[in-house]
Amino acid sequence: MSDSTPLLHLSGITKRFGGIRAVSNVNLKVFPGDFLTIFGPNGAGKTTLLRIIASLTQPTVGHIEFSQENVNKGRAQVGYVSHQSFLYNELTGFENLEFYGNLYDFREPRTRASEMLIKMGLEKVGQRLVREYSRGMKQRLTLARALLHAPSLLLLDEPYTGLDQHGSRLLTSVLRNVKEEGSTVILITHNLREGLELCSRAVIQHRGELILEVSSDELEISHFENVYLQRVGD
Amino acid sequence: MLRQLVLIWVVAAKDLTIEYRSRQAFLNILFFALLILIIFNFAFDPGSRATHEAAPGILWVALLFPGVIQLGRSFQMETEEGTLQGIMLSPIDRGVLFLGKFFANWIFLVLIDLFILVAFIVFFNFSFSVQLGWVVLLIMVVSIGFTAVGTIFSAMVSSMRTREVLLPILLFPILIPIILAAVNGTQEVLIREETQFLVQWIGLVIAFDVIFLASGFLVFDYVVGD
Repeated sequence: MSDSTPLLHLSGITKRFGGIRAVSNVNLKVFPGDFLTIFGPNGAGKTTLLRIIASLTQPTVGHIEFSQENVNKGRAQVGYVSHQSFLYNELTGFENLEFYGNLYDFREPRTRASEMLIKMGLEKVGQRLVREYSRGMKQRLTLARALLHAPSLLLLDEPYTGLDQHGSRLLTSVLRNVKEEGSTVILITHNLREGLELCSRAVIQHRGELILEVSSDELEISHFENVYLQRVGD
Repeated sequence: MLRQLVLIWVVAAKDLTIEYRSRQAFLNILFFALLILIIFNFAFDPGSRATHEAAPGILWVALLFPGVIQLGRSFQMETEEGTLQGIMLSPIDRGVLFLGKFFANWIFLVLIDLFILVAFIVFFNFSFSVQLGWVVLLIMVVSIGFTAVGTIFSAMVSSMRTREVLLPILLFPILIPIILAAVNGTQEVLIREETQFLVQWIGLVIAFDVIFLASGFLVFDYVVGD
């Protein structure tokens, strides 16, 4: 926690879908520079919580403040990597980034797109259509799209899914750079090892509720794994 | 204002680029329209007076029904990889997004409609005369209203499983005023070869266009919201 003023403040967030309570009374503060990992089994409500933070879903009850502003005003400061890539398969990698660069009002969207392609090691395939990309290349482009506007908060929903060893290592390396640059990150993952490697804080979400929060000095993988299995029960 | 116009073009250019690269959709829609014309051509005696009188109605069936496919595709392409959510995260005004999508759909439909018009003239033995200029004008203004309403409803039903069925059911009742104007206007210039009431029909269509373009611009935030 590098600052006393939270970048993001969730108060009493609950989200119901009909009779199902996907997120239940979540209170959470995320501080600038935090790398927060949310663990939890399938159906714990992690993705719904992330979508609420990204303002793509409205909470049924509760309030979100982003940099002390309403989250709808702050959503342009959010970069989001979801299960879907948010990329157009019929456009090239460069064209995708240029398009988003235009939406984010960059003066030189083409220059920014080129910079991001180089940063993600995709400069050689930038002029290829996204549908020709491998899973790993597409995931790197997705991350480039999310980081394009230098967001102050990066949200990552299971970014390691479907990546091979090489792809996973590359992603971890990119996330390490993002962390070193001082960006705030919220990561969702099932994988304890990958999730704990970079995080400064970890929380466990189960049946919609945040049931445990630990900071980096308490994060020892085998211990956390035992605690996780005890609390989640599978 | 200039920034908004640039963004409208950015959204439209992106859609048109994707349509150009996946030309199969264009060909499928055109083929569907040609099939409609061929079926009507076989069903009725092409030389009879009755067919000649009904031809404007047949033309607009061939123009509007395949057009619904394109309107449905417009937001389907935004849901396949979640790109609509990517756009929603950006600070772009939702009304500007609507106008960008509308503009791309309109250009696409007018282009396809011109091909269909040529096929119609050939199949139903009309001549390439000055009167056709009025029909082209009608196509352009009717397409504005058709596309504006279609873009709103296409966004509304894009996440529903039954979107292909729902879209025409929602769309056509609202389009009745411009369909009437389109068919009557076309009948006047093609069959009666006069323009006495054409201005009134075009005026009605333009009023419809303005209402639904403005509505789409204003309500689109609610349409694509949670």
